Amino acid sequence: MANKKTMTLNLTEPEMQVLEELSRQKELSKTALLRQAIRLYQLVDARLARGEKLLFEDEKKKAKAELMIL
Amino acid sequence: MKIPVEIIDRSTGEPVRATLFDAITVEHFMETQNEWRPLVLEAARRQAASAQAARADIPVHFHWDWTRKESQLALLAVHFYGIEYLGKLQGIMKAETVGHVCRLPEQRGKPLIYIDYLEVAPWNVKSIMEALAKPTRYGAVGTRLVEAAVRQSIEEGFKGRVGLHSLATSEYFYLEVCEMTPVGRDPGKQNLLWCEFTPEQALIFVGD
Repeated sequence: MANKKTMTLNLTEPEMQVLEELSRQKELSKTALLRQAIRLYQLVDARLARGEKLLFEDEKKKAKAELMIL
Repeated sequence: MKIPVEIIDRSTGEPVRATLFDAITVEHFMETQNEWRPLVLEAARRQAASAQAARADIPVHFHWDWTRKESQLALLAVHFYGIEYLGKLQGIMKAETVGHVCRLPEQRGKPLIYIDYLEVAPWNVKSIMEALAKPTRYGAVGTRLVEAAVRQSIEEGFKGRVGLHSLATSEYFYLEVCEMTPVGRDPGKQNLLWCEFTPEQALIFVGD
């Protein structure tokens, strides 16, 4: 594992609540969850840059929605 | 990361000290394509032509091409590991940290390390070398790579959980050697067998 650097992160109360809830659900530390989020963001961004689309599909409603990423 | 690991010299049965590393480059991918693939293809040809060879022994990964994964070297979600001994790549693995979750009922939805590809050099695969009428060189290479995935899983906070789709020719290794749990066939992935480590199984496997 590469050397790690430390940073201070300022979150709003709702953002912190979501982070804590997701950490609890996934059984991950808040740091581990944020690292996963960065990896996922980079992966999605790389695939979108290749021209792929990110879709959510609701099989019951036979509906697909494209997720747009900043 | 670069750490010593023991693999087995099949000619003596003795352990030798190889190196596990994660600084995989495109040159390593080219090494697999230039030095491994011709041997795998030749073994597949001979086994397919032999009436005596069991169909299950034919290497189904003869078409793999690691060089196609070059663009993934920069992705944080993708980790490559290799094992080197005497200047030669003996095994290589691609593992992913996002996009896959546990399927076993007792840990469904929990994060895991997904082993997307794992290949050992053809001279370390008994069925391939038998087809080529040559001795197998080194053992325990695949085991050391799976151990690396478990250790990464622990470091990521995934508690050792690892999952993979096993090729038919590798099911014995993952189920009997690694003692992973067979969860079921995945129709979305060529009906390959999905295998998974629980934290308890993972810790037993790496001997912690």
